[in-house]
Amino acid sequence: MAPVRSGLRVFLGTGSGRAGSLLFLILASVSAYVLLTYPLDFGLKSWSDPAVWADNPKAAPPGWLSLLSPNDYPPHRVFEYRQPTHTRTVETGGVIHTYLAEFHHTSDRFPTLLTITLQDLAYHDGPPRIFISLTRPDGHRLVVAALVPPGPLPGEEPPIHRYVETPMRLRVGGEDVAALLSSFFAREYGASIPPKEILSRGVEEALFGQPAGPQGPLFRSLKGAYSVRVEMLAPDPRDRLTSVKIVVGGSSYGSLGTDSLGRDIGVGLLFGFPVALFLGLVTSTLATAIGSTLGMIGGLLGGRVDSAIQRASDIAANVPLLPLLIYLTFALQPLLPRLWTVVLILVAFGWPGLAITVRSMLLQIRSGQLIEAAVALGASKRRIMVKHVFPQIAPFILGQMIFFAPSAILAEAGLSFLGLGDPSIPTWGQILESGFRSGAVYLGFWWWVLPPGLLIILTAMAFVLVALGLEPVINPRLRRIS
Amino acid sequence: MGRLGRVLLVRGLTLLGVLVAVLLILVVSLGATGLSDKILQAVIGEELRGLRQTLAQTIRDPEELERVLLEKRGQLMEFYGLNVPWYHRLPATMLRVLTLDLGYARTIRSFQGSSRVVDIVLERLPLTLIMVTSALAITAAIGLAVGVRLATRVGSRLDRAASYISAASYATPTWWLGIILILTLSFQLRVFPFGGLHSIPPPTEPLIRTLDLLWHAVLPIITLVLASLGSWTYVVRTMVLNVAQEDFVLVARAKGLPEGHVMRKHILRAAAPPILTSLILGLAGSMGGAILTETVFNWPGMGRLYYDAIMTLDEGLIIALTYLFTLIYVAARFLLEVLYVIVDPRVSY
Repeated sequence: MAPVRSGLRVFLGTGSGRAGSLLFLILASVSAYVLLTYPLDFGLKSWSDPAVWADNPKAAPPGWLSLLSPNDYPPHRVFEYRQPTHTRTVETGGVIHTYLAEFHHTSDRFPTLLTITLQDLAYHDGPPRIFISLTRPDGHRLVVAALVPPGPLPGEEPPIHRYVETPMRLRVGGEDVAALLSSFFAREYGASIPPKEILSRGVEEALFGQPAGPQGPLFRSLKGAYSVRVEMLAPDPRDRLTSVKIVVGGSSYGSLGTDSLGRDIGVGLLFGFPVALFLGLVTSTLATAIGSTLGMIGGLLGGRVDSAIQRASDIAANVPLLPLLIYLTFALQPLLPRLWTVVLILVAFGWPGLAITVRSMLLQIRSGQLIEAAVALGASKRRIMVKHVFPQIAPFILGQMIFFAPSAILAEAGLSFLGLGDPSIPTWGQILESGFRSGAVYLGFWWWVLPPGLLIILTAMAFVLVALGLEPVINPRLRRIS
Repeated sequence: MGRLGRVLLVRGLTLLGVLVAVLLILVVSLGATGLSDKILQAVIGEELRGLRQTLAQTIRDPEELERVLLEKRGQLMEFYGLNVPWYHRLPATMLRVLTLDLGYARTIRSFQGSSRVVDIVLERLPLTLIMVTSALAITAAIGLAVGVRLATRVGSRLDRAASYISAASYATPTWWLGIILILTLSFQLRVFPFGGLHSIPPPTEPLIRTLDLLWHAVLPIITLVLASLGSWTYVVRTMVLNVAQEDFVLVARAKGLPEGHVMRKHILRAAAPPILTSLILGLAGSMGGAILTETVFNWPGMGRLYYDAIMTLDEGLIIALTYLFTLIYVAARFLLEVLYVIVDPRVSY
């Protein structure tokens, strides 16, 4: 173990070795975190399901921008309740549960949406009535939605549950609300704004705004204290709503913003960590194993086997990889999951370089005195191979393996960028592709294209730096330079 | 000459092997996945639809029409070889593609309106070559100048910085760099166009048209140069360094020759062949890379064509282009072998 330990010391003595190890450690711990906390079907069940992301603002920049300039990027507000804010008993015997969300709107920009999501309602004596109202800074209270859950089916015993599997999600808007707002502005502000115009501007501008006068835009933002109230008029005091969620959409979101479907880019990028590491490690391990084995077999056996391997690697090494990779991913998509196609092809065409080098190294070692001595002592071919030859080329093979890993990651990113990614597994390349295809580059959505690319570079760099740090270990003559 | 001829023959045969191998992969993967049958069925369906319209003019009886069409379908199936399994069609298909009979594209047309793949490619290829070669020429010039300088200062801070930049450049996807350049130079600063070949509407006056094209080519070329400059400089540095440590260089210095003379006449001349190798290999490689870069810049070259072929699921075009990319790559490598033998008299296999 002594050579390994001294090799490690040399490796960690280099700047690139240290930097690479650090980067690698970060990548590995993020991957471990993701593997522990994300469901494995995250791609299909969450990422590709628009319903999961419906309450998020679309194509919103990162949330920390709202700290820098709150006026331009009003924050995204989510209020979640397990218990009513307060409960009042009515003389007729029922109760009123109230869920109250209060917030200050201080931006010139309007909130992007207002949604209310109710989950798991249990009632006993007839369905409760639910009212949703918005109180504005001008003191007016608008009832923007009212709903009565479906009554009991014949034979259904109380407690009766509703909205369990699919929560009730209400987005405040539509023609009714537009009509309500139109008459509200006519009554209170003396402004005649037809419902159609409110709908075309977006109901949110009317909900959180006031008529701006004859010039300029129709509405301007009405700043001040708002409250959204969800009231449940329950005939039976035992009636319960398990969860109430009120969302006031902002113009910024999360750590890294959202894409045009409202998906949290930070969440998607995190999932890319283990995928990239897995892809790089699996591909490079397989390609290296095949390449070095074939190289050693050829170098040791010589003769016809050797020349067959040489011819094959000559051909495989001369193939233009990217076009073929693209073509095969396209052609094999009904047969294989695309991520595996990428692995398969990169392995199939990645081994020859190593086979050629290992073979020539082997020929050099074989003619050396060490092997001559071993042969003279009567060592078997296998023993020479395992005991004397392999230890000499092992560090080199390790270095090549690590150096090969980024090419797999870069190739997958490129394929994904062309729309040939695996749709069930979100990767950095796919996030870039969706950004590019929905015009993020031309609209300046930098948060959508900058981070995934930087992560690709960082991951590839981690491997390259480790490989650079290993160089003086593999080739001791280089030690004096670094 | 005999020796040289034999060397080139062996290399030529290997590269021909590559070509056949790629073609075999193409045809077998198409056949085995059933894609080939699907394409041919689509072609026949298309022909029958056209035929139905013309026949409907003359044959009034609908049953008679169906009978004639069914008969025609049988003839077409036989003509295209759909009545036999795909591996029976394989030799003919390979021979067809090998002889550059590339067929027709389904929806993509040349600028003149032709759907022949050859016509389309002949229009697109020069556009790719302009971009790739001019980027390569610039990269080569800068890389040579900087790389040689670095080689004379091994271990300096500049040299160490260059090694990190080179690693970063290996790790950076060219197409992503293009996206970032569009985002900064086109979107933020409005200096360069977002992409495409010409402004809209394209200028008609020839001189302005050419200038317009050049203006559109600047950003893609900058991208390619930036992406490959780091690693290329490092290649030059390493190769010059390798030669500089040889004994004959020491001898030249010992004789008191001026340093510039040693560099030009002794080191660079010996380092030229491997540098040339990586240069041409880089050219061949960036042909493939153009698929991504041209997609980013909407540059209507071969790469963009390949992307469009995938997007429109035009299998015939995809096969033809994959084959052409291989052919260009292989041809470049063969050219390289020839040049290598000419430039470096020491080469003997």
